[in-house]
Amino acid sequence: MLKEKLEKFFKIDRRWIFLLLAIVLFAPIMKPIGLPNKTISRDAQNAYTFMDNIPAGSFVLFSLDYDPSTRPELHPQAMAMVRHAFKRDLRVGVVTFIAGSTGLISQIFAKVPGEYNKVNGTDYVIFPYQANYAAVMTQMGSDLYGIYDKDQDGRDARTLPVMKGVKNYKDMALVVDITGTSILDQWVAFVGDKFNVPVVGGVTAISQPGYGPYLQTKQLKGLLGGMKGAAEYESLIKEPGKGTSGIDSLNLAHLLVLILIMTSNIILLIIRYL
Amino acid sequence: MKFIKKQIPLMIVMVVGLLTLASYYVPNKHSVDYIELLSKWENIVMAFAFLLGLISLFYSHYNKISRKTDGWGYSLFVYIGFLGMVVPAMMNGGRQMVDGRLTMLGWSFNYIYNALSATMFAVLAFYIVSTAYRSFRIKSKQAFVLFLAAFVLILGKVPLGQIIWDFLLGWTHATVSEVIEWIMSVPAVAGKRGIMIGISIGAIVTSLKIIFGIERQYMGKD
Repeated sequence: MLKEKLEKFFKIDRRWIFLLLAIVLFAPIMKPIGLPNKTISRDAQNAYTFMDNIPAGSFVLFSLDYDPSTRPELHPQAMAMVRHAFKRDLRVGVVTFIAGSTGLISQIFAKVPGEYNKVNGTDYVIFPYQANYAAVMTQMGSDLYGIYDKDQDGRDARTLPVMKGVKNYKDMALVVDITGTSILDQWVAFVGDKFNVPVVGGVTAISQPGYGPYLQTKQLKGLLGGMKGAAEYESLIKEPGKGTSGIDSLNLAHLLVLILIMTSNIILLIIRYL
Repeated sequence: MKFIKKQIPLMIVMVVGLLTLASYYVPNKHSVDYIELLSKWENIVMAFAFLLGLISLFYSHYNKISRKTDGWGYSLFVYIGFLGMVVPAMMNGGRQMVDGRLTMLGWSFNYIYNALSATMFAVLAFYIVSTAYRSFRIKSKQAFVLFLAAFVLILGKVPLGQIIWDFLLGWTHATVSEVIEWIMSVPAVAGKRGIMIGISIGAIVTSLKIIFGIERQYMGKD
């Protein structure tokens, strides 16, 4: 009798689980609980420290390669890292190999530069979308103007003050790639290793474990993973943003997953030994 | 004829392949110029590949609509979606914001593409949670190890999990972050490294087979 009742739990209508998850995700967004971000991971700390030690005025290349599907995790990471770069008075260049990313880049640079009085063309430059990342990465090793002769607004890239003294990777202090794809692997292989440029990454939580080998060998100087990575970076630069506010939902959703997995296994055990 | 259709393409592939390979290891002006030229060609070819893909997509959906196959109505949305993004992009010169105000393209991006794309991905979360409840069952020793690793990772990935760990297992003096770091830098890295080495060897072998004309599938059947 009890066995049959318990077995019913396995056949529970999945819409109940959907509803539960929806509540768990929405409730903290509507009314934040304010759970503390207890620890900063070693890789996020390394990413921050590396960026923080770059001399002011250096050129940092951001490759922002994510589209709206991974926006909740990666957009806060990009915002936080761009903020940090501006805070440190670094010159910022932006490229992308994902067409869907162009709108998100516009959103970042419509907001963040104004907070630090940064001017387009003088303190930062946004290059147009390019499809073939392997060819572009290789080309930029010798002369980036061979590919990016104009910026997004059609201005001659060579004459922009932000590009003064920048011709190829040798003139860049850091490459930051924030992506929901495998483009970070290509930055490491085609650029970091070959041209000896430091590379820092930002990826989704699900792909974070795959970058362990690069971190161990220091081919990646640091890595932000998912929304937690964004929250960690935000707390390091002391600028709470979407990553920090999303951490409540993330907390409860993770807890829900654990409770569900444990419940199903406890039921399985009881059924087995009944 | 065979010479033109087979031998010449194979020769071009071999020469270009070997030159490109050598250029990676020989850093002089000629090899840099060669790679630069090749990169530009590659970008041009890529643009045509996009165009070809678009024509093929339109053609296949046109066929679905004209034959009124099952679900042909969805094919209409391919054209609607395309026009909904491309027409505003052409009208606004690709700009999504002008003087801090959204253009038509910006509106389409924010309220059509952004919303649809994010929704598609967000739906996955619901299926993952539901599947975790239904499928993550410990039925063997291997499944138990997987469960244990996943449990610790999920717990340690969020601050609330870390608080729970400290409350229940604080007496062990091992933080969940330390346990995760060990899992990530020993067993996970070992597995990932093995996969990476395997993939790389496979890629090298396939490349060499193409360069030396052993692998010819890219030439088609004729």
